[in-house]
Amino acid sequence: MNTTDSPAVEVRRLAREYSRRGKPPRRALDDVDLAIGQGEVHGLLGPNGAGKTTLCKILCTVLLPTSGTALVNGFDVVTKTDAVRRSIGIVFGGERGLYTRLSARQNLRYWSALYRQPKAVGYRRVEELLDRMGLGDRADEPVETFSRGMKQRLHLARGLIGDPRTLILDEPTVGMDPVAARDFRELVRELRSEGRTVLLTTHDMAEAEALCDRVSLIDSGRLLATESPRTIGQWLSKYERVRAERVPAEVVSHLRAVPGVGGVTAAGDVVTVETVAEGAAGAVLKVLVDGGVTTVSTVRPSLEEVYLHVIGERGLAVG
Amino acid sequence: MTGLFWAAVRFQAQSLRRSPEYLMSLVTIPALTIAFLAIVRNSGRDDLVPYAVLGAALMTVWATALYVCGELIESERYGGTLEGLLAAPAPFSVLIIARISLVTVVSFLGLAESGLIAWLLFGVTIPVPHPGLLLLTLLCTAFAMVGTSSIMSALFVLARSARIFQNSLSYPFYLLGGLVVPVALLPGWLQPVSRVIFLSWTADLLRDCLRVESPADAVPRLAVIVGLGVLAFAAGLTMSRAILRRIRQNGSVGYA
Repeated sequence: MNTTDSPAVEVRRLAREYSRRGKPPRRALDDVDLAIGQGEVHGLLGPNGAGKTTLCKILCTVLLPTSGTALVNGFDVVTKTDAVRRSIGIVFGGERGLYTRLSARQNLRYWSALYRQPKAVGYRRVEELLDRMGLGDRADEPVETFSRGMKQRLHLARGLIGDPRTLILDEPTVGMDPVAARDFRELVRELRSEGRTVLLTTHDMAEAEALCDRVSLIDSGRLLATESPRTIGQWLSKYERVRAERVPAEVVSHLRAVPGVGGVTAAGDVVTVETVAEGAAGAVLKVLVDGGVTTVSTVRPSLEEVYLHVIGERGLAVG
Repeated sequence: MTGLFWAAVRFQAQSLRRSPEYLMSLVTIPALTIAFLAIVRNSGRDDLVPYAVLGAALMTVWATALYVCGELIESERYGGTLEGLLAAPAPFSVLIIARISLVTVVSFLGLAESGLIAWLLFGVTIPVPHPGLLLLTLLCTAFAMVGTSSIMSALFVLARSARIFQNSLSYPFYLLGGLVVPVALLPGWLQPVSRVIFLSWTADLLRDCLRVESPADAVPRLAVIVGLGVLAFAAGLTMSRAILRRIRQNGSVGYA
C-alpha cells in the first residue's frame, strides 16, 4: 500500500475491552471512527478514563484492539506492526518511561539504536535533539536529577529520535511549567511546518485550541464529535464564568437579567456568574463595572464543564 | 542487527555501572569461597580445593543470571519503558539476548575472583591442565546460560512475585546443577533430573578440566551443553513472543 497518500491515522469501528475478574468487561473504546490527514495536528480531548491513552496505545502497537481496524500511515497496527513502528514516534506523559540512572545522552543514543539508525546518524540526531530541547548543558547528568519539565522534554526528544512521520503525544504537557509549555507549543508548530502529523491528547481545551487543526472529543470510550478549534474557542468563551467580590444586591438582580446568564450564585462575599452564551461574559463585566464593582475575574470552563454543557445541549446519544 | 546488538550491550554495561547492586553476587563470592575452602581444608581434603573454588564461582554465575536476567523485562515494565520498547522497530528478542549476554560474561569474572581469593587467603593455586577445553566449556556455558536466562526473563513477567521465584530457584539449581556436590554423588533418582540442566554438564566438565588426566568424551559433553542451550533459546524466544503478545492482548504492558 502506498502510505504517503493514505491518511496518517485511519480508525474504523475500533473497540477495546478490558476483561475483569468476576465482572463484565470494561469497554475502554467503543466503535471509534477517526481519520487524521497527513500533516494535521489533531487534538484528542477528553477527561481521565475517556479512552485517549487506550487509543494511543493501540495506534503505537502496544495494545491490541478487541475489534475494528486501525491504520497508521497506511499500515495495519495488528498485522504490520514493524512498518507502523518505523513510521511513528510516541511520547507517553508522566515521569516514567526513561532510564533514570542513565544520562539524557545515553538514553537517547540507546533509543536511536532501537529506531535502527546507523550509529553516526543516530549520534548526530541525538545532539540535535538535545540542543533543540534545551538539554545540551545537562546531557551527561543522570535523568533522575532532572526536573519534571526536563524529563518531559527528554520524552519529546525520545519521541522524535526516529524522525517519525507521525508523532503520538499522550498528555505531553503534564508537569511542564508555563515556560516549558509555551516552548512545547512552539515545537508542535515547528513539527507541523515540517509536515509531520501530530496526534495530541490533552485535558486542556485552551492548548487544543491553540495547537490543533481539528479536535476530537472523546468520553467513556466514544468519540463524541470532531470540531475545528474555532468551535472550541466558542465553547471556551460561551461557558466562561465571572467571579466578583462585594457585589451590591441590586447589581446581583441586574446580573440575573443579563441575556446568556445561566445562573448566579453567592457564597459569602463572592458572587459567581455562569454564562451559557457567547459574549455574555462581556455583558456581565459591564454590569459589574457600571455597578461600581472592581474586584472581578473571569475563569475559563474546565473540560468537564464544557462536556456537561455540550453533551447536555446536544442531547447526544452517548449510550 | 549487529549494531543493535552492540548498542544493547553498551546500554547494559552503562546500566550495570550505574546500578552496581545488580552485581552483588560478585561481592558475596569471597564469603562463599572462604566458607567452602575452610571446610575442605579443615577436613584434610586438599584434593577438593578446585571443587570448592569452582563451586563458589558457578554459584555466582547462576545467582547473577537469576537476579539480573530474571528482572530484565520486569524492570522495564516497572519503569514504564517497556511500552516504548515495544513501540520501537527493534526486535525485542535481540535486545534481551544482547543484554543477558553481557551480564553472563561479566558474571564469569566470579571464576577469576574465586581463584584469586583462594590464592590470597589460602595460598593455593588452581592448576589448569586443559586450558583450551576450559575456555571452550566456558563459551558453551555462556551460550546455554543466555538461553536459559531468556526463559527466566520471559517467565518472570507472568509471575506476580518474581523475587520469590528468584530466591527459590537458586538453591535447587545449585544442587541439581552439581555446582558443589557432583551429580554422581546425588541420590540415583535425582540424577536424571540433573542431566537436563546444562549446569550439571558444565560443572562436571570444568572439574575435569582441572584434573591432570584428559577428560573423557569432552566433545559429546560440550555438544550436550550447546544442545541444551539451543533448546533453552528456542523455548525462551517462543515464550517471549507469546508473553509479549499476551500482555499486549490483556493490556498489562505497563503498570500505570
